[in-house]
Amino acid sequence: MKRAMKNKYVFVAVMLCAILFLGMGLTNLYVWEVKEQDEVSDITIVTSFYPMYIATLNVVGDTDHVILKNLSEPQTGCLHDFQLTPKDMKLLSTADVFVINGGGIESFMEEVAAAYPQLTVIEACENTKLLADEGEKNAHAWMSIAAYESQVKTIVEALSEVDPVHKGQYQKNAFNYVKKLDSLKKRQKAIAEAASGQHVILFHEAYDYVADDYGLKVSCVLDLDEERQVSAGEVSDVLAAIERDHVNVIFAEELYGKSIGETVQKEADVQVIYLNPLNRGDYDKDSYIDGMSENLRLLEQCFGVQE
Amino acid sequence: MINWTSWLDYGFMRSALLAILIITPLFGLLGTMIVNKKMAYFSDALGHSALTGIAVGVVCGVADTNLSMVIFAIVFALLLNKIGSKNSSSTDTIISVFSSCSVAVGLAILSKGGNFSKYSSILVGDVLSITNREIVYLLAIFAVTIIFWLVCFNWLNAICIHRALAGSKHIPVHLMDNIFAVLVALIVMLSIKWVGILIINALLILPAASSRNISVNMREYHLFSLIFSVFSGILGLILSFYTNVATGPMIVILASVIYFVTYIFGRKCKE
Repeated sequence: MKRAMKNKYVFVAVMLCAILFLGMGLTNLYVWEVKEQDEVSDITIVTSFYPMYIATLNVVGDTDHVILKNLSEPQTGCLHDFQLTPKDMKLLSTADVFVINGGGIESFMEEVAAAYPQLTVIEACENTKLLADEGEKNAHAWMSIAAYESQVKTIVEALSEVDPVHKGQYQKNAFNYVKKLDSLKKRQKAIAEAASGQHVILFHEAYDYVADDYGLKVSCVLDLDEERQVSAGEVSDVLAAIERDHVNVIFAEELYGKSIGETVQKEADVQVIYLNPLNRGDYDKDSYIDGMSENLRLLEQCFGVQE
Repeated sequence: MINWTSWLDYGFMRSALLAILIITPLFGLLGTMIVNKKMAYFSDALGHSALTGIAVGVVCGVADTNLSMVIFAIVFALLLNKIGSKNSSSTDTIISVFSSCSVAVGLAILSKGGNFSKYSSILVGDVLSITNREIVYLLAIFAVTIIFWLVCFNWLNAICIHRALAGSKHIPVHLMDNIFAVLVALIVMLSIKWVGILIINALLILPAASSRNISVNMREYHLFSLIFSVFSGILGLILSFYTNVATGPMIVILASVIYFVTYIFGRKCKE
């Protein structure tokens, strides 16, 4: 009996040690594989989510010794209810500058400010007039080309101030980028002429900015920018709005709006066009330009504008 | 090689470590009695009632949902105890009825307007949510629990062995049951935000269950349960930091491994 007792304590000690070393060993292997190379850098810029990353990427370009990283994954989409993980906190602890959209999208900023009071935060929406819905700010400003342009300008001015060494390069990159955006803006005029004053229904809060760009009247908004259940009451509201305002066009997002878009199309004679909300994609420099010009093409098609 | 101390550089990890050092011994301690009293399902239902607690807080506009969670859980626990002791149908049926009812109310309120994703973090837990205030609460509970244990453990144990006999010895059976249930409710509610509703029960049950596999008396039972609980808590926290996994699940995985190893060892010993 005594011996069995002693064996037991030895067993527990051996077991815990084995788990400890096994756990640490496996973690070591795992971390080894995903470990990124450390680069020499003057400044590390972290962006909060996809559109901010693309905007900042176009400002930074291939400037040497500037590291640009994105906090969330490229497929995260909007940051509604985004939870910071310890990894995000680690990343932010290495950052010199944190570029955010602002307007309440980054709901975790309080935590960040408390943990890193020294971190310079650039709020891209700072000089942009945000649309508001019943007093609540709509921060999806990048969906309007003009507003996006002002975000890019805000970012470049703030970055030049924080990092004067690379100011010249930032300004040059931003100038070229704004030029590209301006050519997109020219295409908007013809659409606005054809579409202005028409009623539309939106299946995404972000498309308020699209409607605003072309002078469209919004009859009804279903905010479907995340996985959620749509109640029958909401569908009937949409159908009633179509009837009331003679709505011909619905803007929806392919990812979350497709099923309800098809449902509504079965019930009423409307056209559903699936615009890209430009909040997820790959880390390609031109993804905003490409995505937006595809949106423009869809709108031109929809409102019968010749290119 | 990883620098195995770098996680201590972060304030939130230090708070998490502190919280784990306070909470895991409590889990180990209370777990022994939960397993003995066959209350695993009861504590599971308590965990689920956190959803309703938050919902009640949201409806009443309470800024600190901790408060509404704790109050709701205490009421819930006392009600369960009361009805469980009066009713003739089996306890698990009653718990099941209560648990599903309260979860349904919670889900209905929280999913209003399709907004449930806002609260989904509470299902898996978020280690960054530990604040200094919660640590103070935890410390207070820690002190209360230890005192309760030192003073009342023999009574609790007697009730556990034979309720009627304990009653005849003038032990306040119902009072003890209620205090125990309230303590479990408090601890579960204060740690649920970082452990997660889906797995909090595992933290209460697994260390004690593993310990029961290999111990022969109360002293060993407590000792091993404490060791397993603290060990899996701290190691789970560190590993989750380096692998970027949610902390609660990592701790539970470690605790489960311990359970299976002790299970096999316990079987061997008996042969």
